[in-house]
Amino acid sequence: MRAPLPYKVRSLGHARRRKNGGHDRCGILTRMGTGGNVRIDVGRSIQQSADEAAAAIRALLAGRKIYAINLISSPGSGKTTLIEALLARFDGKGGVAVVEGDIETEIDADRIRKHGVEVRQINTRSSCHIQPSRLLSVLREMDLSETRLLLVENVGNLVCPAEVPLGEDARVVLLSVTEGDEKPLKYPLVFRTSDLLVITKTDLLPYVTFDVDRVRRAARAANPAVEIFEVSATTGAGMSALLDRIEALRTAKNG
Amino acid sequence: MHELGVANEILDVALSEAERHAAKKVTSIRLLVGVLRSIEPGNLSFLFEHLARGTPAEGALLEIVEEPVRVECEACGVSETPSFTLECPRCKGADVSIKGGDSLSILSMDVDS
Repeated sequence: MRAPLPYKVRSLGHARRRKNGGHDRCGILTRMGTGGNVRIDVGRSIQQSADEAAAAIRALLAGRKIYAINLISSPGSGKTTLIEALLARFDGKGGVAVVEGDIETEIDADRIRKHGVEVRQINTRSSCHIQPSRLLSVLREMDLSETRLLLVENVGNLVCPAEVPLGEDARVVLLSVTEGDEKPLKYPLVFRTSDLLVITKTDLLPYVTFDVDRVRRAARAANPAVEIFEVSATTGAGMSALLDRIEALRTAKNG
Repeated sequence: MHELGVANEILDVALSEAERHAAKKVTSIRLLVGVLRSIEPGNLSFLFEHLARGTPAEGALLEIVEEPVRVECEACGVSETPSFTLECPRCKGADVSIKGGDSLSILSMDVDS
């Protein structure tokens, strides 16, 4: 038999708001004062190195007046399809560059390359999201001289990409109607941290049980400022409103 | 397996802090982890234990302080819940704003000097 793993969990509750050593009152951190045992206050975000890389990305983008969008969703919700729609809309007047993130393969980059834009594929292998340090080094290799809009397609996953800011100006989460209307409740962090929620494949609504209002309510509770769009790339319904909004966000920031 | 990246970062910070304070051994590390972070403590601990082998943080105890979600209700003020919710845990009202629960930081650590 293995020894139990060394960890303890307790709920923070109201204890944290007590002044002067609220944690110690909970009684598990009082083994102090014997031998050479010393408490070091660290107070540091676990994501500090990721945050530093994200700040470097923001600086790189700001210097070049590039507006960056981080696209997050489950696999198969329509990220690459939305990118293709944006390419069709902006190509020639915006200058779009794309970074594709996947565990394996160049399939998405090959698909985007056919549109004749600057594109790079990041294969994350064992990692379930794009790391900002990796994105930074890829951006440094890319020709961004004409770029005004950078689209980063994160690895298909609603969990980890939500936790790792990439220095983006806007975060867009996509949810297809075939995935179910409970996703904002199951994966609240991504819905809380996204600026735009795009409900995709709405042409399939007659065939699935998906309560759009339930999704809207949950998404707004997680993030009152979220802008919600309903689109179908197949019929084109709602697409122009979404593309208009993205264009307006980009021009509002960078002219 | 997103705990792997987190475990790695914890170890990096712990080892650099230990070195900065000329500590010989890290005995425990206290973390503040929001309940919305989807961190499974057993996973995190398993990965950390593995990564820390052969370092001054080998065998260190991870003390995970869970940060709850904060619910601000128009009717009855602030309350806290251990998971995401769409309603006030007290009055069940829907006029709420959901905050917090997304921390991920190292609060402190205990070392032998």
